[in-house]
Amino acid sequence: MTTTPARGAAAPDQAPQSAPTGYPRDRRGSPVPAAGMIATRIMELRKRRGLMIALVVLDIGFPAVFYLSRLIGHAFAPQANPPAGGDLIFKVFAAGFLPTFGFIVAITVGCTAGSRDLTEGMFRHLVVTGRSRLALYLARIPAGLAIVMTVVAIGYAIVCAVSVVAAPAFVDDNNLNIPPGLSRAEFGNWARDHAEPVVCSLPYSGQVPNLPCPLPVSKSAVTPAQPAPPRLEALAVKIAGQDYPGYTAIFLSPPDSLMIEAGLWIELGAIIAFTVGLGLASLMGQRTVPVILLLVLQLILTPILSAVDIPWLRDSVVGLAIGRIEPSGLPAAAGLPGVTGGVGGPGSSRLPEPALEAACVIVAWLAVWTILGAWRMMTRDA
Amino acid sequence: MQRCESRWAVETHGLTKRFGQKAAVNGVELLVPRGSAFGYLGPNGAGKTTLIRVLLGLTRADAGTMSLFGYPVPRHRDVALARVGAIVDEPRFYRHLTGRQNLRVLAAAREPAARDRIGPALERVGLAHRADERVLGYSLGMRQRLGVAACLLSDPELLILDEPMNGLDPAGMADMRDIIGSMVADGRTVVLSSHLLDEVERTCDAVAIVDRGSIIKQGPISELLAGAQLALEVECSAPGRASALLAGRSLGVRVDAVPSALGLGITLPAGTGRDVIAEINRVLVQGGISVYRLQPVRTSLQSWFLQVTTRLGDPE
Repeated sequence: MTTTPARGAAAPDQAPQSAPTGYPRDRRGSPVPAAGMIATRIMELRKRRGLMIALVVLDIGFPAVFYLSRLIGHAFAPQANPPAGGDLIFKVFAAGFLPTFGFIVAITVGCTAGSRDLTEGMFRHLVVTGRSRLALYLARIPAGLAIVMTVVAIGYAIVCAVSVVAAPAFVDDNNLNIPPGLSRAEFGNWARDHAEPVVCSLPYSGQVPNLPCPLPVSKSAVTPAQPAPPRLEALAVKIAGQDYPGYTAIFLSPPDSLMIEAGLWIELGAIIAFTVGLGLASLMGQRTVPVILLLVLQLILTPILSAVDIPWLRDSVVGLAIGRIEPSGLPAAAGLPGVTGGVGGPGSSRLPEPALEAACVIVAWLAVWTILGAWRMMTRDA
Repeated sequence: MQRCESRWAVETHGLTKRFGQKAAVNGVELLVPRGSAFGYLGPNGAGKTTLIRVLLGLTRADAGTMSLFGYPVPRHRDVALARVGAIVDEPRFYRHLTGRQNLRVLAAAREPAARDRIGPALERVGLAHRADERVLGYSLGMRQRLGVAACLLSDPELLILDEPMNGLDPAGMADMRDIIGSMVADGRTVVLSSHLLDEVERTCDAVAIVDRGSIIKQGPISELLAGAQLALEVECSAPGRASALLAGRSLGVRVDAVPSALGLGITLPAGTGRDVIAEINRVLVQGGISVYRLQPVRTSLQSWFLQVTTRLGDPE
């Protein structure tokens, strides 16, 4: 039975087998998301106050408060509190805290972006627009990354800025305040002028006379030159010559190249975590469980797997692969949380996975989770 | 608006959607004329919403073909849905965004001109003064209005509304009727899925009755009601004796007479002529029954609906 057309409509036709002319000009069937879609996705994520507050507190607030407390402490009691910045504290943050916080921030945003359309009922409205489901999925990636990378970058910028601006004025090597940037000859002269503390403090492989060493030396000022016997001065110069390579490896503030490399590495970790979180949450259609699963993977399973002597399994873990491409200037004992020792932990040495293989593992994780998330987005009931 | 050659806004052939062994939509043959207000009626669980979800590409059909404005769906769903606005189930939005921001999200997924329609759409549904409040604080009726505003972003040729009166106050229902009326007056098509028979009868030109996933009747309301049984109300003395009197006489058609509080309720088959009504009157008077009033009763969509389906309100 059919309906007679109302209001003078004509008789029924056969259903056409192909589309008549007249496609809309906005290319809504294209898998490429429009700029406006990305912009509104950013707005949608940015307006989630609870989420944004948590991200800012974790990734920006914590380093800011930590450094502020060190700045204040050093300003009011410089003898008791070391300078707030410097190379060492930078490495602690860049290799431990920031990757950890960036990871948590990234998976939280990723899982939110991947699931909230569904759970809040907007996915249906978006599908009814006729826009390609793939485009709807892909719009989430730049939008989420814009937020994740910005938050991570701000936190990292604070760490870099304080590490440089508030770096110590002297190299604090074994409780000696050595002027930075000395040549080998200048370092020898300085050692001759500070023979007794040098002999007492700096490592030396040869025989050292039995001295009553009055250590530790004050850290707040250059140790005043003390008159010393010529033999002691000669020994200090010898020790300085032996320790000069170690002295040159100590930086007052982190080198620019290391800051750039570490920043890129931290952002890469965040990008990977976001992408995996987005894909997993899109696949599962919820946020909480994927967040928990990824935290368990990274913080519990990955350290366990790093100790397992099954190379193919160990090498396929993305957290370990990220650890493999950690900048060489960062301490090898650090890395992503749980990977090689956790936040500031002692950890183990790097695993022998080649960097190229690690890169392949990372690309595979990105591709697989993006494909899985997009596939589920395109096939699920809205 | 772009137009194609098809005379039908919606056309389905053998459309089937199963959930396990149960067919929620079972071989549906539906033709919705362009420019009409079309009611899609059925008891709870009859498959109304599922059909709409299939049409809109929210879920996949298991069998059959469908097209919107002649564009085969899902092959050309992007083109077809560009001209469609729809509310399916209860309208839900991002609760942390304002009504206007929600519309911005949806407009961004449509053509660029959709963004310019946000303000007029909010005005049209009477939500402009609350548009900058978060949806978290909206009532169901306000979200229903926001859903209609979202539909208007596409400047739709086809508006598909699933229970649009839910949550609306009387003024909101009147506004919704006005919107539907003005859309149809503009030559657009409105498909209204509802269990509110009065609303559909008041709003729509044509209906389809769906039950257990299948369409059991469809057509213009006037034609469908013309084929319905004829009812008479008779105010008379001794209704019981009158009923017995009519039962014992052959009038050439089946006459069901039931005594009621006012007198007698009589049901005649569809198409019964006026002479039968006169004959009933004559039989009663000649039988000594005083007839005070004899009035044909117009068949409502509701009574017709109850004739063709007895499952109204059955729990699933």
